[in-house]
Amino acid sequence: MSQADPAIHTAAVAALEAAANQTLKLDPTAYQRLSVFSGQVFHIDCDQPKFNVYLCPEQSFLRFTAYYDGEATTTIRGSGSEFTKLATSKDPGGVLINSNIKLEGDSAPLIELQKVLSELELDWEAPLVESLGDVLGHQLANIFRALANWGRKAKVNNARQWRDFILEEARLAPSRAEVENFFSANNQLTQQLDRIEGRLRKLQRQLSELG
Amino acid sequence: MSEQDTTHFGFKTVKSEEKADLVADVFHSVAVKYDLMNDLMSGGIHRLWKRFTIEVSGVREGQTVLDIAGGTGDLTAKFSRLVGKTGQVVLADINSSMLEVGRDKLIDSGYFGNIEFTQTDAQFLPFADNSFDCVCIAFGLRNVTDKDKALSSMLRVLKPGGRLLILEFSKPRNEWLEKAYDTYSFKVLPKIGKLVTNDEESYQYLAESIRMHPNQETLKEMMVNAGFESCRFYNMTGGIVALHRGIKP
Repeated sequence: MSQADPAIHTAAVAALEAAANQTLKLDPTAYQRLSVFSGQVFHIDCDQPKFNVYLCPEQSFLRFTAYYDGEATTTIRGSGSEFTKLATSKDPGGVLINSNIKLEGDSAPLIELQKVLSELELDWEAPLVESLGDVLGHQLANIFRALANWGRKAKVNNARQWRDFILEEARLAPSRAEVENFFSANNQLTQQLDRIEGRLRKLQRQLSELG
Repeated sequence: MSEQDTTHFGFKTVKSEEKADLVADVFHSVAVKYDLMNDLMSGGIHRLWKRFTIEVSGVREGQTVLDIAGGTGDLTAKFSRLVGKTGQVVLADINSSMLEVGRDKLIDSGYFGNIEFTQTDAQFLPFADNSFDCVCIAFGLRNVTDKDKALSSMLRVLKPGGRLLILEFSKPRNEWLEKAYDTYSFKVLPKIGKLVTNDEESYQYLAESIRMHPNQETLKEMMVNAGFESCRFYNMTGGIVALHRGIKP
């Protein structure tokens, strides 16, 4: 264990645990789906930033601890950015293979856990309704949903419009068809040059035999 | 009074046989507002110290735990959850008022199926040898008259390979922190005690008893002398609190 004050590390882990469990409560099936991992321990060892935490799913709670003296089911070591990629990826197995994340123990439970967490359907409306009442809570939730939808569409539209501007209007980059034509012509030229080179070598051999 | 018959009660020297009663009076007085005072005095940090203690305990489902000087049941509640239906936690305290507050609090919170309550002295634990997977004493050892006797008793009731955890106030590692801590302990704490519980003297005793308690290295040596192995300690909050851990061979 590091020489840093354990109370500080414990505080950070406690905050993570509280936040995670508050979020999980927004999906009524979350704990039931996580209960299959009960008894297993997942060790996340992050080197950038330096942080260490153990996840211990229980029947109706996801426990986080800063210290665990037993053997973890799975240990993963890597940087914070790699863990974020793993957590949000639709292909966690592929991320594990292609990234610099080091894995010890059984990877299957970890991949299953990632899938369960990424498939959670969080009902953000429930806490609003609980705090503000049915009508106001629902109206506010509708506004947030509309904003989220607008944001998603704006992101897709922006990407398409920038692509069209760069390719068609500003002509800052060639289109895909132009690039493919260029490479095709380049390949043909290379092949022709190779054939000419071959004929030249043949003629040189014939000349040297005559001479 | 000969030296062998005396011990300390805070900064006072008293007869050994009187200390337990004096400590009992303190805790009878503070029992009802004990949890509130812990939060006020430590700014809530005591919850982190205790959480770390639980993590280091390594307690698992089905195990048995003895929580000595468990008082109002903070640690017992957490151990109860960890050991589950197949395990057991014994909440032991020498003080009946603290035990009553703890029992009521735990039952009201829904913790009772795997918890036993017993009024007992840490120096003379009434359990069979090799009974417990873990023995824990949080902020209680400094109040015990004969600490060596208590450590031997705890060793006896632990199973081989079982773990002893002692969470207690200790000596700050930094001179400036120590000065600030002294000022806080002797000037502020008794005033908070007077304001909240109308009992300044008990919190004066608290501050004094902390200063009379062995420091980190001394307590570790006492554990080794009692027969524990792999003894180590973790300093928290600059050494204001230390968690000692030892294993029964």
